Amino acid sequence: MQFTIEDRGTYTEVVANGRLNMVSAPTLRSTVDEAVGAGSRHIVVNLASTDFMDSSGLGALIGCLKVARQAGGDLRIACAQKQVQMVLELTNMNRVLAPYATVEEAFARD
Amino acid sequence: MTDRDSQRRFEAEAVPAAINDLHDELDRFWSDLDDVPFEDQMAFTTAVIEAASNVVEHGVPLDRGGVRLGVELSASATRLQARVLEINAAAHPDPLTPATGDPEELESGRGLFLINALVTTVTVERQGNTNVWVLSKESAPRR
Repeated sequence: MQFTIEDRGTYTEVVANGRLNMVSAPTLRSTVDEAVGAGSRHIVVNLASTDFMDSSGLGALIGCLKVARQAGGDLRIACAQKQVQMVLELTNMNRVLAPYATVEEAFARD
Repeated sequence: MTDRDSQRRFEAEAVPAAINDLHDELDRFWSDLDDVPFEDQMAFTTAVIEAASNVVEHGVPLDRGGVRLGVELSASATRLQARVLEINAAAHPDPLTPATGDPEELESGRGLFLINALVTTVTVERQGNTNVWVLSKESAPRR
């Protein structure tokens, strides 16, 4: 899995490409930690190319959410595919990490 | 009547990299089967990866040889089954008890919950030096 970071002005986009599982979850954590450490407060994780997420990946997203909130910001997710939506819904984590249809919409109303 | 009759076996050292290799094996398993609904593939793959990740994360070796992860996948006319083997591992006292706590705060412990939600039956039994997880999912052929 690969992560890329893009500065979008009012938010930082983290693009997650591949499988978000126990192998890649620590890299997501460190990627978001670095972005927040560098001053990013509003993070959008773009899941358009994330074709799989398990509970380790979900745990990493929740950890990243905590990091962003502790820094006074927030983390949101966008473009979740069917399998990712299934995991979010079964665990009720869609209440905490509500997926936005597009990256642009995630912080559009703040 | 469907002609489903597919079997695959995977075995590797129980380390994180094995999870990606297992996922590739699952992709090949589905490529052998053209009548399993996508939703069933998605649910079963997620459950198998969760069980295998549990072996990698929590398996305690019986000796210096380390824990090995084995997975046997099979499909019959109406059922998908995975036997996830935790080889050369200590027995788990209560393997199917999920984590407790505020679900919105937990960063781990959702794996067992997901497995139970995604398959029809799940059992764990001890066979010799191996813990055997058996995951079964009813799956009617796609029309």
